[in-house]
This record gives sequence, structure tokens and C-alpha cells, in this order.
Amino acid sequence: MILEQVINGIVLGSMYALIAQGYTLVFGVLDKLNFAHGEIFMLGGFICVASIALGASLPIAILATAIIAGLLGLLVEFVGFRKFQTHDAHLTAALSSFAIGLVIIDLTQKVWGAESVAVTLPGALQTATVSIGGIRFVILRLAILIISLVLMQVLYLVVTRTSLGRRIRAVAESPAKAALFGINVTRVNQQVFFIASMMAGLAGLALALRTGYASSDVGFTFGLKALAIMAIGGMGDLRGALIGGLLIGVLEALAFQWNLGQFADVFVWLFMIVILLVRPAGLFGTLISKEVRA
Amino acid sequence: MIEDYVVFVGVNIILAWSVYVILLAGSLSFANGGFMAIGAYVSGVLTVKFGVPLIVAALIGGVAAAIVGVLVGFPALRTRGIYLMLVTVGIAVSVKAAIESIDYVGGIQGFGGMVGTTPWHVIGLVVLVGCGLALLSRSPLQRILDAVREDELSAASLGINPVYVKLTCFGVGAFLAAIAGSFYAHYLIHISPDQFGIVLSVFIVLYAVLGGTNNMWGPPIGAAIMTLIPEFVRGLEVWRPTAFGVIIVCLLLIRPDGLLAFRITTTRTKTASAGSHSTGPQSD
Repeated sequence: MILEQVINGIVLGSMYALIAQGYTLVFGVLDKLNFAHGEIFMLGGFICVASIALGASLPIAILATAIIAGLLGLLVEFVGFRKFQTHDAHLTAALSSFAIGLVIIDLTQKVWGAESVAVTLPGALQTATVSIGGIRFVILRLAILIISLVLMQVLYLVVTRTSLGRRIRAVAESPAKAALFGINVTRVNQQVFFIASMMAGLAGLALALRTGYASSDVGFTFGLKALAIMAIGGMGDLRGALIGGLLIGVLEALAFQWNLGQFADVFVWLFMIVILLVRPAGLFGTLISKEVRA
Repeated sequence: MIEDYVVFVGVNIILAWSVYVILLAGSLSFANGGFMAIGAYVSGVLTVKFGVPLIVAALIGGVAAAIVGVLVGFPALRTRGIYLMLVTVGIAVSVKAAIESIDYVGGIQGFGGMVGTTPWHVIGLVVLVGCGLALLSRSPLQRILDAVREDELSAASLGINPVYVKLTCFGVGAFLAAIAGSFYAHYLIHISPDQFGIVLSVFIVLYAVLGGTNNMWGPPIGAAIMTLIPEFVRGLEVWRPTAFGVIIVCLLLIRPDGLLAFRITTTRTKTASAGSHSTGPQSD
């Protein structure tokens, strides 16, 4: 029973981590909070609903979600962040991205209504189970876990090993110096937003598939909690977001197991406050070495 | 109907000023929605369950929120910028969740029975706070605040204690937000934790920032416009939230420093405005 909850928590945590890595990527590169991120995550579920309703198969739906969410990220960057690049503008950027988030929520509710919309996959994909070592796993959950871990590993490799990653790290270090070396900072920002939003969209799709419905308020509940998780793991640190996400996911699942579910939200935020006060760099982040930062 | 407008605009003006006071010392608060909730609930309990008069209850609620504000502010103000933003978001979320889990005040269902706010209460409060801020902007205290905001280190070297100054502003901000909250609650009759979510806190900051935070007249203008815009785009009825969001983004893009982003020279002595090149309270 406990083991089952722990596994549920890890699956939950992997989705937290997917969103938190998006937050942390944007924070690491632009030093800004993207409050529209949670709403792109929320929309991911609805894009999945729409593409399945249009008759697309699951792979196509995943692809569509990734691309549309990524494009939306470009829009958020253009409207909410392009003009607010200076260090002083982080409040303005946070507020404008928040307003964009409000528009996204409202438009979503215009199209799909305020109630949550059920997602049904063809076949028994959502309920099929497999038994490994005497424990029954829902295949879908395992798939979500594996795919998110793979995605995060790919992101990590992209950031640390490729030329795109080098450009991203250079801009994170100092946009002005990166520009001097001939890096197109705007382009890098766009790429960062595309990647981050794509991951948020996929996390939204995963949540919709796991719970069986897409709902328009997860941006403020689930999505905002990922922001706290990003701060807990270490702001701007990819692995911190992953470990923080898994940690919180497991703790939350255990809290529900022990009937402390109502305190889960408060716990996450209080934990974040304590972490920020004691160790502003987060559990795994280091303020000094920016090497490990995305 | 006109009473509604007066009360809501007035309450929002006070809320905008409560953020402005905190911004004056260079910190930032997304927690004012939470302080507002504390004020609303404490004063509500006092008037409904103990029969305390409204004004007294509002003051006690304000003091309670100020105490909470100082207690959490003391460690929180060690952080700055985005970190402070996150910590205050955390405070707002925690306050809301805490209220939801207290059965004595109705939990998620909310709490009702508060009456007694008239538009005159709110108008009086706005005038009172406005006069206070106007006096402040002419007093030496304003220069202390300017110094702390612009450069904490040099302010400290001049014998100003930045922590003390910031903490005072945080407490005063919490106090104002809580008083606004208690008047708001006693006008609405019924309140629930939902109303005091993080969206409210962000909107309060938006009121101040959209109006312009480098003089005391910006926040009320921002609050008034933001409260009345949704009424004026009524014609669009179904598209209201979208139109509202688009308007916010446009305002931020066109005037990132706020609608009223200039220093009114009459609120400052000539020498001070000539010597100052400050652009207003920017959180660091």
C-alpha cells in the first residue's frame, strides 16, 4: 500500500518536475518568473482533448500538444517578456505574463466551458495494468513516468552537450556578453520559451490522461505549486527541479495516505519559504557556480 | 449601485496604497491579499461573535495583520527581488489555506453576518490615508525611504537601519490592507477564502504598478481605473476577462512604469527633486 502510494507520488512528481523545469529554464536564462507557464500547462490538457476529439491518434495528439504549446510559448515571450528585458523589469514581466495567463484561462473556458472535460482514449489504454514483481502498475502511469524522465534527460543533454545548450548557458551567464560573441539573444530566448512551454504542454497532457479529464483550474493549483517546487529544488537548476518535483510528489502522496491531504498545499509553500530563507539557492542550487545552471 | 462603485473603488485604492507603502522602501509584496483576509476574518469574528463596533474591530484586525506581517516579514525581507516575490506568494497561499482549514470561521464555506460599512467609512479612510501619505511625502521620512530604496548600503552607512525601515513599511502595508479587508467584508456581508486567493494579491500589485509607483497619486488612479474598466467593458459581457487581460498587457507595454510615472514636484522640496534622479520605487 505504502509502496503503491510512493509510486503514485513519483508519477505525480515527474509531472511537477516537467513544469518546474520549464519555470527554471526561463528563470535561469531571463531571471524572470513566467506566470503564464501554469496556464500553458493547463492548456496542454485541452489541446489533447481537442486533437483526440478531432480523431487524431495518441502520438499525433502528443505531437500537436507539444507544437501548439511551444508556439504559445513564443507568443508569451513576444508579448510578455520581449519588452521587459532589463533587470528592474522583473515585476512588470511577472505581471504581464500573469495577465496573459488570465486571457488563456478565459479563452479556454470560452471554448470548452468552465467544467472539466473528460478525456477518453480508445481501447483500455487508460486502465490497463501490468504486474511486475507482484505489484500491479497502471501502464499509462508507468509510461508517463518513463516519458517524462526521458524528456528531462534529453533536455539536460541538450543544455549541457549541444551548441544550442552552449548558447543557452551563455545567455544565462550574461546576455550582454553573449551578444558580443555573436549570439542572437532574442533567438535563444525564443528557443528557451519554446522548449519550456512544450514541456509544460506535455505535462498538461500527461495530467489529463492520468486523471481522465482536462480542467481549466489546474494552472493555479498544480501549476503554481510547480513554481514553489522550482524554488525548493534550486532556481535555475534543472536537476534541482527534477529532484524537488519527485520529493514533493512522494511527500504529497504520503500525506494523502495519512489523511493529511488538506495540508499538502500549505506544506509545499511553507517548505519553500523555509528553504528560501535558509538556503536561497534552493536545496540543490548553488548561487556561486553558474556552471550547473541551465 | 453607485454605493458599490464608491466602496469597491475606495477599498481598492487603500489596497493599492498598502502595496505602495511597501514599495516605498524598495520591497515588494504579493501577500497583501492574505493580510486583507486576516483583517476581514479577525474583524468579522469580532463584530459578529463578540459585538465589537466596526471601527474598533477593523483596527484590531489591522493590528493583527500588522503583527503577522512583521513576524513573517522579519525573516522574509532578508530575501530580495524574485525570491521575495516567491516568499510573499507563499505567504498569501498559506494564509488562504490556513483559513480554509479553520472550522471556527466556516472553513471553505466562508463566514457571514458582517454588516455596517457605509460608503462614508471608506471615503473617510481614503481621505485619512491620503492625507497621511501626502504628509509623509513632504516629511524627512520620505527621504529616508528614498535612501533605503535607492541604495540600502549607503543608507546604512548614513546611520539608517534598512531592516527597521523596510519592516515598518511592511507592517504598515499589512495594516492598511487589513483595514481595507475588514471594511470590504462588512460591506459584502459574506466572505469566503476563495475571494482572497493569489489572484487578488497579484491584482493589488497590478493596481499600484499600472497607476505608477513613483508618487502617491499613481496607485489610486490605477485602482480606480482597474475597478471601473470591467464595468465599462460590460458591453462586451462575455469577453470581459479576456478584454481585461488584454488591457492590462497593453497598459504595461505602453507605459511600463505606470500611467502616472513622474514625480509630482509639489510633493517634494525643490532641492530634493533637483538632486534626486530616482525613478521611483523599483523593487530590487
